[in-house]
Amino acid sequence: MAILKTTDLSKVYNPDTVPVHALRDVSVSIEKGEFTSVVGPSGSGKTTLLNLVGGLDKPTSGEVEVEGIRIAGMKDRELTNFRLHNIGFVFQHYNLIPVFSARENVSFIMLLQNQDKEKMQERADELLRAVGLGNRKDARPPQMSGGEQQRVAVARALASKPKFILADEPTASLDTEAAMNLLDIMQRMNQEQNVTFVFSTHDQRVIDRARRVITLVDGAVDSDEHRDPDEGATA
Amino acid sequence: MNTLLSLSWRNIWRHPARSGVLLAAIMVGLCAGVVTVGTMNGLMRQRVDYLIESELTHAQIHHPEFLAEGHSWHSIPEHDRIISWLDGDPRVESHTSRTLSDGVLQSPVRASGVRIRGIDVESEVRTTTFHENLVEGEYLDTDVRNAVLMGTRLAEEHNLDLGNRIVLTFEDTDGRLASASFNIAGLFKSASADYDELNVLVRSDDFIRLLADRPVYHEIGVMLESEEVAESFVADFNSEFTGAEAQTWRELSPELSMLVELGGVMVFLITMIIMAALAFGILNTMLMALFERMREIGMLLSVGMSRPRVFSMIMLESVILTFTGAAVGIGLAWMSMTYLSRAGVNLEMFAEGMAEIGWDYMVYPLMSAREYVAVVTVVIVITLLASVYPALKAIRINPLEAARDH
Ligand SMILES: Nc1ncnc2c1ncn2[C@@H]1O[C@H](COP(=O)(O)OP(=O)(O)O)[C@@H](O)[C@H]1O
Ligand SMILES: [Mg+2]
Repeated sequence: MAILKTTDLSKVYNPDTVPVHALRDVSVSIEKGEFTSVVGPSGSGKTTLLNLVGGLDKPTSGEVEVEGIRIAGMKDRELTNFRLHNIGFVFQHYNLIPVFSARENVSFIMLLQNQDKEKMQERADELLRAVGLGNRKDARPPQMSGGEQQRVAVARALASKPKFILADEPTASLDTEAAMNLLDIMQRMNQEQNVTFVFSTHDQRVIDRARRVITLVDGAVDSDEHRDPDEGATA
Repeated sequence: MNTLLSLSWRNIWRHPARSGVLLAAIMVGLCAGVVTVGTMNGLMRQRVDYLIESELTHAQIHHPEFLAEGHSWHSIPEHDRIISWLDGDPRVESHTSRTLSDGVLQSPVRASGVRIRGIDVESEVRTTTFHENLVEGEYLDTDVRNAVLMGTRLAEEHNLDLGNRIVLTFEDTDGRLASASFNIAGLFKSASADYDELNVLVRSDDFIRLLADRPVYHEIGVMLESEEVAESFVADFNSEFTGAEAQTWRELSPELSMLVELGGVMVFLITMIIMAALAFGILNTMLMALFERMREIGMLLSVGMSRPRVFSMIMLESVILTFTGAAVGIGLAWMSMTYLSRAGVNLEMFAEGMAEIGWDYMVYPLMSAREYVAVVTVVIVITLLASVYPALKAIRINPLEAARDH
């Protein structure tokens, strides 16, 4: 079964005033372990798509299913809880809690899930080591570089053991080196732990690293190609 | 969930200056409020105590019609039985009997209506402190024959001085006019200008001789062990005796009673004003903190923090902040009160005339445990109210704020 599936997903902003058709009948299906990039020019609907599949916004029509569970009909409270246990988020602006250390930022999610306290610490340390921040556990976001913060954000997203991780333009605020470093980490997580990533970008170097590229134009799927990331498209 | 607690605490210190100012405002506000209220309490209490102790006493006994009519024939019946009843009541500290009549004071200059008060020197001095109001001459324990004491102001109006002679005219207990001359032995100045203008004091022995053929008394002033027992004392007396009536100082002096009540209202008002200012401070600080953290709260909602938890987090911040300030503020207030209740507050510079009209300018602030509890309760209620609004605003934030560019 697809881990994430959309059926004729559409979104119209301001339907009553100046309607903006941000997304038109998008039907895609993503399997576990995929490393998928959503690409397209600015305004093509990437963010809208990720918000809808992440349960942060409601579609105008169409369906989003996560492992066969339709999330459209869920109440706000249900949906919040669903996100907590099923979806990991990485934001363009890192969005860490500035008064918390790296380790606290990572374990906070597990705390919200009411996980066991001792295991929480261990797992947070383990995740921080995995993203190369084993020696920055006690640093707070303001003391870290953008690249470091975004790696903490990836560790945080992984901490809740989500079914997949959504990242909207995760490298847009990073310089090339930090961006490539982040991609390395994401790729390694994907290969070693079979973590499913869906990320949007308009950066060609990032696109080159994806194994599946869904291209949006004016809110509709223009192309959807599977390929070997290092040798270009294989369709 | 102590992580939430720790998160709230650290969030408070994200802007040390801003939170510090609010904390300081709460501390200073509370401390100043308590001291102000305590000082007013003390001022009021001292005024009431002074008036009770100097003349009014805790309770008075009269013929039921005397207060309204003021006739000398409305004297207290069964005086001896009342006195022995009073002597047998453990609540009674001391008492003094007074012989009163309305009359006219005549000097070479003019005549004016006065109440003539026949005083039993020995028991009066034991019961009240009125003798301390003497500013010139001697008290009624003087050797001067037919001695009279009067207020300095009344003496001035009549152009009188110590040693001068006046004539007092009054109705005796049979309704016949009587008059006699008295010698001014002393001048007094009490807390009340009105009292000083309307009352003259003579010895009851002298007065009774002119008034009746037997001892007559119109008023018994009773000092009790404390003000609190006044009501029960009066009730007990009134069920024991029918020909005479006892009243508490509150009934006898409604305006003084009102002063006390007014004090209570002022205390409430001052507390409310201070708290309203604090509420705005809390609201302002928390809303500012909230607007800066829209994206962060959007993130928390996105990743799955429930709205009730976000609500608690913001509430907790205001509550911790205020309660920290309030705890220290109350502590400071208590220390200031402990010090000032011994050292006193000198109000002379604010009201030079206070001593003139008989108000003490040294005030010893007073605050009961009940009033502390009331202040703390008001602080808690206002804080919770002021915290709810920012917390409600926080949970209405859209999770999509997380991705918005601010
Ligand atoms: N909240 C909104 N209200 C109205 N229009 C919006 C809103 N968000 C996005 N849009 C519009 O929807 C379209 C798709 O936007 P978006 O999904 O952000 O594209 P992308 O992320 O690819 O740049 C754009 O035309 C954008 O202006
Ligand atoms: Mg976008």
